[in-house]
Amino acid sequence: MKKLIATTAALAITASGAFAADIALVIGSNQDSFWNVVKKGAEDAAVLIEARGGSLNILQTNNYDNYGADLATLIEQATAQGVDGIATVLPVPDAQLPAIQAAIDAGIKVTLLNGGGDRLEESGALNYFGSDEYVAGVAGGKYMAEAGATHILCHIQIPGTVNLEARCAGVEEGATAAGAKATILRVPANLDGDVAGTSAAIEAELNSDPSIDAVVNLATWAADASAAAIEQLGKTESVKLGTFDLSPSTLDRIKAGTQTMAIDQTPYYQGFLSVSTLAAHIDFGTKVATQPVLTGPAIVDSSNIDATFAGVEAGTR
Amino acid sequence: MAHTETTSSEPSSPKSASSQFSLGELIRSPAMGAFVGMVIVFAIFAMFGFSRNFLSIAGFANWMNFASTVGIIAIPVAFLMIAGELDISTGAVLPASAMMLGISVNHYDFPMWLGIIMTLTMAASVGLVNGLLVTRTQVPSFIVTLATLFAVGGLTLALSDFLINNTNVSLQSPDWAKALFGTRYFGFRSAVYWWIGLIVIFWFFLHKSPWGNWVFAVGGDSESARNAGIPVNKLKIWLFVLCSVCTALAGMCQVIQFNSAQSATFFNMIFFTIIASVVGGVLLNGGFGSVAGVVFGTMTLGIVQQGINYTDIDRNLSLLIIGVMLLIAVLMNGTFQSLATSWSSSKKED
Repeated sequence: MKKLIATTAALAITASGAFAADIALVIGSNQDSFWNVVKKGAEDAAVLIEARGGSLNILQTNNYDNYGADLATLIEQATAQGVDGIATVLPVPDAQLPAIQAAIDAGIKVTLLNGGGDRLEESGALNYFGSDEYVAGVAGGKYMAEAGATHILCHIQIPGTVNLEARCAGVEEGATAAGAKATILRVPANLDGDVAGTSAAIEAELNSDPSIDAVVNLATWAADASAAAIEQLGKTESVKLGTFDLSPSTLDRIKAGTQTMAIDQTPYYQGFLSVSTLAAHIDFGTKVATQPVLTGPAIVDSSNIDATFAGVEAGTR
Repeated sequence: MAHTETTSSEPSSPKSASSQFSLGELIRSPAMGAFVGMVIVFAIFAMFGFSRNFLSIAGFANWMNFASTVGIIAIPVAFLMIAGELDISTGAVLPASAMMLGISVNHYDFPMWLGIIMTLTMAASVGLVNGLLVTRTQVPSFIVTLATLFAVGGLTLALSDFLINNTNVSLQSPDWAKALFGTRYFGFRSAVYWWIGLIVIFWFFLHKSPWGNWVFAVGGDSESARNAGIPVNKLKIWLFVLCSVCTALAGMCQVIQFNSAQSATFFNMIFFTIIASVVGGVLLNGGFGSVAGVVFGTMTLGIVQQGINYTDIDRNLSLLIIGVMLLIAVLMNGTFQSLATSWSSSKKED
């Protein structure tokens, strides 16, 4: 089907000879598997864009050490490359907005994905494709409470980070609304990415407060840490585990029944929709009326795990 | 026409610094290998990135902007390497400076000038600690600055979380500070102009002033240098202070340019500055190097790091390409060095 559309589009372009959009996608570190899924969505969209004679150039940072400045530099780079459209993440608006403004001043269309949706209007971008962290948190908290959790521990790996705080605030809200209790655990930020250290911290919490019967993590590596802690304590039966985002180990646990659920923000859609609608806007003047476009939350649990696995195989989840 | 002083500051054979221009002298200069390497790398990326405006002014400004932050730090790092030491605490001093300026001005409403002075003082004291520890103990500078890297990084994280309950800070700077540190002129960030200014100053320092000769002498043979009356310890301490202060300058330019800072330790900066120095022909064991070489090395790094995005090369290969280029550059430097040595010795026989 996709091929058919592509061929039709290719025929259309040869018939009309119209100009087609060159798009740049600016996203996070190429060493972070999350972005591979965004990239996959964008590359699938690129099939259509290239069939029309356009192009897609994906620009990624090396890591998150200097995130705001690195992203701003990449946006400047895309501007220098003379693209027609830029789809970018917006986690550090202070650093990125001047670069985005310069791109818009140069006549480039900009759209946002994944993060920074609350700054959509200010940024001058066309639309935002991503999740609302708070809404996703509420859905997760509610799901865990309805699955039988009475006291949820929500773990924040970098305290003070706006989107992470919003996720746990949402979990707390969702849990409370469904009649459960939630405690937010803020660990020292130097434990970020440290599976062993985080596992020990979670274990200590579970040990010191036996009433905790569920853990929600905000990253898949942190869920790996929690799973190890829960197993270490022999509490796989009594403590439920949930996490934001998907990873192979997360899905394996859901399949095996040692993890209750994962909250997916559908990164594939973020890449696919942002890039394809941006190119279509430039080529055909179309615009999605809904604003912002929420690509999540989508809950993955035992009921839809098999289809999710198929997506993982294809690199789309 | 006759030069009264030797033009090159290398300790070897002052006689060979002939009064007239010669190809041999050009090839002999430590910057030559770095220059040739940069031209080759530039040509490669120009070829593959041509269709995406790599050769436009904006394309040029793009990688120069990236290179400027590295370049401001890389030259003093190279000085330390020439003097036989190493400073890797730069990776923590940079975010610490950016966060300190951001927190003091944005959160505590200090005037910008005071924030800048405080930040530079903080950086200078880190450099002083590095210098004192290296010269007063027998601990190698790699270990000393590794310790301060983590200590300063940890302190930055803990203090930001404690003071502002956040690991990121935003900063709105007054116009004069923007104009001086964080705006663009002709597409180039302020940091690029700071870098160019520092290149001139540092070139005079290393290649024209007596202190430059001291740096080479200390790195070549510390004991002889001490016996010759050079204040080795004092010199090293000042170089460490210089390195931290320059890093703070780069950090301040960055926070003022981008209106925000984050407290994460910038580990890549350590590698960037060392790569720029080594590709620029600086020897890790000291005694050899040049400002021009480090500048070319920094520009090469900038071209590779940013240039790949102008090409269709798989982005996942960028680190691999940097690694291979580093290796080639180092091997090439070796060739140029042995060429230089054999040339001068054959010349002596004449």
